[in-house]
Amino acid sequence: MSPAAITALVVLGFAVMLVRRRSIATLLVSAQAMVLGVAALSLARGRPADFLVAAIILLVRAVALPALLTFTRRRTPEPYLVIPATTVLVRLVLAATVVLIAAASIPPLGLGDRPAEHAAVALLSLGIAIVIMRRPALLQVLGILVAENGIYLLAISVPGGLPFVIELGVLFDLVLVVTVAAAFTHKIHGEVGSGDTDLLRALRD
Amino acid sequence: MARLARATLTSCGRFVTDAVGPLIIAALAVPLSAALLVALMPTPGAADRLNLATSTLTAALALALAVVAIAAAPDVASRGSWYVLDVASGVFLAVVAVVGFASAAMSAFYLRHAGRSWFTARHSHAWYYAAFNVFWAVLLALPLADNLAIAWLLIEASTAASAMLVAFSGKRSALEAGWKYLVLTTLGLSIALLGIVVVYVAVGLDGSGLGRLGWQALAQHANELPHEATLFAFVLILVGLASKIGWAPVHNWLPDAHSEAPPPVSALLSAALLPTVLLIAWRTKLALEPALGSGAVQKLFIGFGLASLLVAIPFLWRPLPWKRLLAYSSLEHMGVLALGIGFGTPLAIAGVVIHIAGHALAKALGFYTAIPLMREDPRTADTPARGITRTSPTTATAMSVSLFSLAGLPPSPLFVSEVMILLGGMQAGLLGVSSIAAVLLALGFLGLAHSLLEGLFGGRKSAHRRRSRSVQAIALLTGIAALALLGVTAIAYALPGSDIVEALMRSGA
Repeated sequence: MSPAAITALVVLGFAVMLVRRRSIATLLVSAQAMVLGVAALSLARGRPADFLVAAIILLVRAVALPALLTFTRRRTPEPYLVIPATTVLVRLVLAATVVLIAAASIPPLGLGDRPAEHAAVALLSLGIAIVIMRRPALLQVLGILVAENGIYLLAISVPGGLPFVIELGVLFDLVLVVTVAAAFTHKIHGEVGSGDTDLLRALRD
Repeated sequence: MARLARATLTSCGRFVTDAVGPLIIAALAVPLSAALLVALMPTPGAADRLNLATSTLTAALALALAVVAIAAAPDVASRGSWYVLDVASGVFLAVVAVVGFASAAMSAFYLRHAGRSWFTARHSHAWYYAAFNVFWAVLLALPLADNLAIAWLLIEASTAASAMLVAFSGKRSALEAGWKYLVLTTLGLSIALLGIVVVYVAVGLDGSGLGRLGWQALAQHANELPHEATLFAFVLILVGLASKIGWAPVHNWLPDAHSEAPPPVSALLSAALLPTVLLIAWRTKLALEPALGSGAVQKLFIGFGLASLLVAIPFLWRPLPWKRLLAYSSLEHMGVLALGIGFGTPLAIAGVVIHIAGHALAKALGFYTAIPLMREDPRTADTPARGITRTSPTTATAMSVSLFSLAGLPPSPLFVSEVMILLGGMQAGLLGVSSIAAVLLALGFLGLAHSLLEGLFGGRKSAHRRRSRSVQAIALLTGIAALALLGVTAIAYALPGSDIVEALMRSGA
């Protein structure tokens, strides 16, 4: 994969960590999936079956899932902008630290594309960091999608690609999880009047 | 005459082997069909009856498969393109079938007085049974999966259905628990998936397509895998699966989900989901161990085991609501199982099997007891149970059978299994670890016994009492569970050195 595409993927991941608006974060994740999808299509050129699977995955990840999340966002208007628990600078420093440690500590994974290996682990780490540091439920779902985009980056970098059963199976599971997460987001909003997960803190021992 | 008998047995065996494929399809198709059919039922009562009928059929099919698998020990009963029916599959299928059937039967009692739920009253039974049956079907398929990637897909698929069930009541606390479970386990499984992709790459061109990640293929090529990348992948897979098994320190969702889910679902989560995912971790260990060396793998399992015990034990001493106490007990017992698999000696593995069966029976009974307990005194949902002997002797008896068994009081099978696992650890030369575990288990026993005695005899003088029809069901279940627990204890004495243990030492390969 080209260095520019890999850089774009990581920058988009960082941007999801930093932005405040759910709408912009959804667009950023959609753009990330689009970059990945286009890369997968170009790698599958000349192999019709691979191309078809890559096209399906692109449509679902870059269009259908962001559309579902946009629909969910519109049904769950926030009465006020959820104030992040940390400042932009703190989030940036923490995210950069997590990403650098994760990317630096991985051994060669055997793909023969070291930048893609680093970027995949960086995106997975960023996704986890987004879930931990962002309070709105919808942003946490986007964190899961950023992490999954990291796995997909690794998957399309595998020489010969992954078997269709795995690629489509993972996509099916992702759709299931995001659909249920969207239902939860709606229900949480209905119950507490906001998608702020910090308001759900009843269960403590 | 002998020739005739042998010929009959051979033809019976061939018939059973030929029937395995259709039996597996039927065992999975029945609950999946039930998930769709409940939506067509005109009344909640009709949905209850349909679910009871289909769950009886599902359990019968799954138990038939389990019998075929265990009877074939030490050989593999059958192997298909994606499934394997070996002894491990048989043991776990039996556990999932029994707990699933009991949970299906108890669900009607829960739903009768469930009150508000995520869904409207008219559709709540249908949605509950749909999610329940999908979840159960996935749990039945999981022990049969003959491939690491397929196992991962099934585990991830279980998350969506079970998260809806955890949050079924629609209460704020249930939403919190369900959300935590959904997000944390999905992230954990993403980490595991990264590890699986790395393993797929490491196996390289030696295998073809999906078959590269079959248990047999992995075991055959393990010696040729690059050590560093495979170790990295194994750590990722184990950490990811640990988040679903609920091993400390990645267990945060477990106490919340178990305590907030409807009791029959809590039983399915604790007694079926956690051990079944643990089976996948176990199969991965056995497949990749030759590439990693037993030392590193053993340390990881023992680390998770001791961490889980250390985190769980203090909570067993605290005055917790009944279901939350059972949840921390699950954490403790998953820790014991991690130790047993980590020790890896035949005696420890025999202990693991007994522990899984005994834990499933005792824990499921404990969660079902929560139905009459919370019906008779709704405050016990959020506060510790107190003085139950004065309000309901039947419920008190069920609580006693469940908690004393879980604590490991003889003749509980968990006493025998814990002794076997600790002795197995000593056989493996890990006297220090076994000693620490023994002390922690003794403290856990005292904590649970203290909590139980407080629950039975302590606290309030007067208690609200509301009659519950589920008490009769609990009385019946207590008798059955007590007999079954004694049966498992008896099996424990015959298990070491048997073909079953021999087969389990190389599960999947």
